Amino acid sequence: MSDTANLRIQRFNPEVDRRPHLETYRVPLTPDTTILDGLHAVKAEQDGSLTFRRSCRHAICGSCAMNVDGHNVLVCKTRLADKVAGGKTVTIRPLPYLPIIKDLVVDRTAFWDQYLRVKPWLIPPDDVPEKEFRVTPEEVAALQNAETCIMCGACYSACQVVAMGKRYIGPHALLKAFLRVLDPRDAAVEDRLREVGGDDGVYRCHTIFNCIDACPKGLNPTQAIETLRGLAAKRKALEAARRTRQAAWSGARAP
Amino acid sequence: MYRSNGFISFLLRRVTGIALVLYLFTHMWVIGSALQGSQVFDARLAAVQTPFFKFAEVALLAALFYHAFDGLRLLLVNWFKITDYRRSLFYAAFGLAAIMTLAGAVPILVFLVQG
Repeated sequence: MSDTANLRIQRFNPEVDRRPHLETYRVPLTPDTTILDGLHAVKAEQDGSLTFRRSCRHAICGSCAMNVDGHNVLVCKTRLADKVAGGKTVTIRPLPYLPIIKDLVVDRTAFWDQYLRVKPWLIPPDDVPEKEFRVTPEEVAALQNAETCIMCGACYSACQVVAMGKRYIGPHALLKAFLRVLDPRDAAVEDRLREVGGDDGVYRCHTIFNCIDACPKGLNPTQAIETLRGLAAKRKALEAARRTRQAAWSGARAP
Repeated sequence: MYRSNGFISFLLRRVTGIALVLYLFTHMWVIGSALQGSQVFDARLAAVQTPFFKFAEVALLAALFYHAFDGLRLLLVNWFKITDYRRSLFYAAFGLAAIMTLAGAVPILVFLVQG
């Protein structure tokens, strides 16, 4: 293995450049070097103006999602050696389909707006049980998958439907909506399903599967969207069943 | 472009869908002329018997089969929750469409040669 690697990085300075361009940098390479380490090496030793987001360095903050050789990944958990095997040059670009602020930093406003749109927080019923909500192990397992999302934006920016228009709620927010719709504690199922079943919601998905391919946590937004499609069609029945269940909890604690 | 199997299938689905709609207009142009008498109908039918249209028919067959099988693939994913098999299903849809197109292309092209 050679002891250096070539990084081709997309650069864009809005104050000077009219359009983004690629620049190549040579960085030290060890078997443990991640692409993020490579970017740090460029910034620290070659060009301090290189701009990128990063924070935790262990794949939990979701800041460093970028497009590496055409795929959205977290650069902090992507080994550089894997990408430059055989002396290849690795190409690092910002997340596609989002406005570039500078170099590898993109404007995620649309991403967060859609996230807030689905009210990703829990809306509890007025009448909460005295001790606890009862959730089955199967429900916990289903929810845990969706809850592992770190909001990195890899799926959102890989989505072809998002590329065609920012009205679409997007796989990240639909996964969160799925999480709340399936959560037996939530009391706003019908409202949620009306929102995700609307014009900008689950029926806008073209089942392209890019979100699954892009997710660095191995989650499955497509399946969540497919499930929501089925549930959206019977949202009133689901809301009624939820109310009955919550009433049973409240009734169970009555003397 | 975020290139992936899914993107290719999406692109082909769109293109074949549009092609099928365009075909429908041609089809109505020919069939609808029967209302104007047999002479008009025969003339229009003869106009689409050229080698160009025979090859276009093969392309139409390919578009139709791909669009149908790719649509079935998405229905299967929806019904049976099998997103894990998305790649193999795409190849299967593509392969089936290719086989069916070949099967249909042979008689069309034989007809073109033998008349």
